[in-house]
Amino acid sequence: MDLSPALKLKHLVPALGLLLASAGATAEKLVMPAGMGGVPDIGAIPCEVYNNMMRVAPLGTRHSLITWSAGYLQAITGKPLQEVVNAADPTRPAWTYDRLGDGLTEFCAANPKLGTRDAVASVAKALGVAPAP
Amino acid sequence: MSTTVATPEPAKSKLWKPPIVGLVTFVLMFVAVGLGHTMMLLIEHNLGRETTLAVSPLLGFTGIIMLWYGVKSKNETFQTWIGFFGALIVWMCWIEFFYMWYGRMNFGMLPRMDGVDGLEVSGTYPEYMIMGSTVGTLLMMLCFYTFDKDTRCNMFLWFQDKLGLREALGPSTKTAKDRNYAIITFMETFFVLWFCYSWNLLTFDPALMGKGTLFVGVNLASVFVATVWAGFCLTRLIQYKRTATALRYAIPVGNVAWVNVEILEKLDLMSHAVFIDPWSYKLEATVIFGAFLTLIFLLVLAPKKPSEVGARRVSPVTE
Repeated sequence: MDLSPALKLKHLVPALGLLLASAGATAEKLVMPAGMGGVPDIGAIPCEVYNNMMRVAPLGTRHSLITWSAGYLQAITGKPLQEVVNAADPTRPAWTYDRLGDGLTEFCAANPKLGTRDAVASVAKALGVAPAP
Repeated sequence: MSTTVATPEPAKSKLWKPPIVGLVTFVLMFVAVGLGHTMMLLIEHNLGRETTLAVSPLLGFTGIIMLWYGVKSKNETFQTWIGFFGALIVWMCWIEFFYMWYGRMNFGMLPRMDGVDGLEVSGTYPEYMIMGSTVGTLLMMLCFYTFDKDTRCNMFLWFQDKLGLREALGPSTKTAKDRNYAIITFMETFFVLWFCYSWNLLTFDPALMGKGTLFVGVNLASVFVATVWAGFCLTRLIQYKRTATALRYAIPVGNVAWVNVEILEKLDLMSHAVFIDPWSYKLEATVIFGAFLTLIFLLVLAPKKPSEVGARRVSPVTE
């Protein structure tokens, strides 16, 4: 596209301004609302932290990571969690809510140095869903 | 006819007189708060969390059965001990363990997180997040004592004075012998624990205080208030001669003093790990527990005034 020099300058100035403004903006660290329990992204914490949270609040912590897993599986398969577990190998024990939670928790208990994302990937693999590369 | 029921004079003791009675009861009640934490952990450790939470409603009834025995007793000292320990059991089972079940196993709450990265589990466990929300109920219940003409608690009497209520409420209709110290001590212990927990929980709440200057300022102000309050009460406590009265007065004094321990621990200025991790401090925890039992034993053996053991002095009656 061939633009006149005046037009080029007219567009260049605000574009440059926007570019400079965005360069100055830094990413905000995600923090929870002050009174709430939990972490902003439970899929991105070390298993060690998850294990500590499990000791104090097992039900809520498990549920939180199961919910994160549901989003992860939906992103990979395009299906909701219920459909993903329905489609799992029928010759193996059924994937119940408890089994999902146990799978995540047992992985983290055995691998405290890894992340909760690895636990979710491991359960996804057991469900027969290929994790994202 | 003139009748006088003679009562024996209390045994004279060179040891059990002010300030020893007050100091011993203060130390006892101060340590009792810490050992209460230990006792909860030991029960949970030995029974397992799930069993503990399942049986805690029933365990709490042991406190009520104790109270039942205490209320029927005529011995003020016995009533006081029973009221105190009964309340501890009920508090532990019906409040702490029950809230623990609600927060951790039923509501599915998440623990508050602490530390620079927000990845350390804070000491404000789900049960304490629930407890913090009961402050309105606590204040409502305390209204009863504020507006009750029969209350003998010095703090509420002070409020009544300052609020100009004494005349409106009229004179108390109860005398010392009308009072049952088992239920009085039971309720006192319960409310003191509730109040002190709420105090700490409100000043620790990041939603109210943040995590910066306000948090530090409010908590240091709390340390100041708790120290002055407990110190002032201690100066009164050390003047007590009767062990039963001193025990009851020492309950709030010890608990208010303990508010400092929780705050200083929160500010990383001290630790009460010996009470909450007794397995790592077996020797120290054993020594403290031994000292606690010894103090109880000494107080039980301490000479009592007749009124403390059930003998009521009856004024001469002339017909």
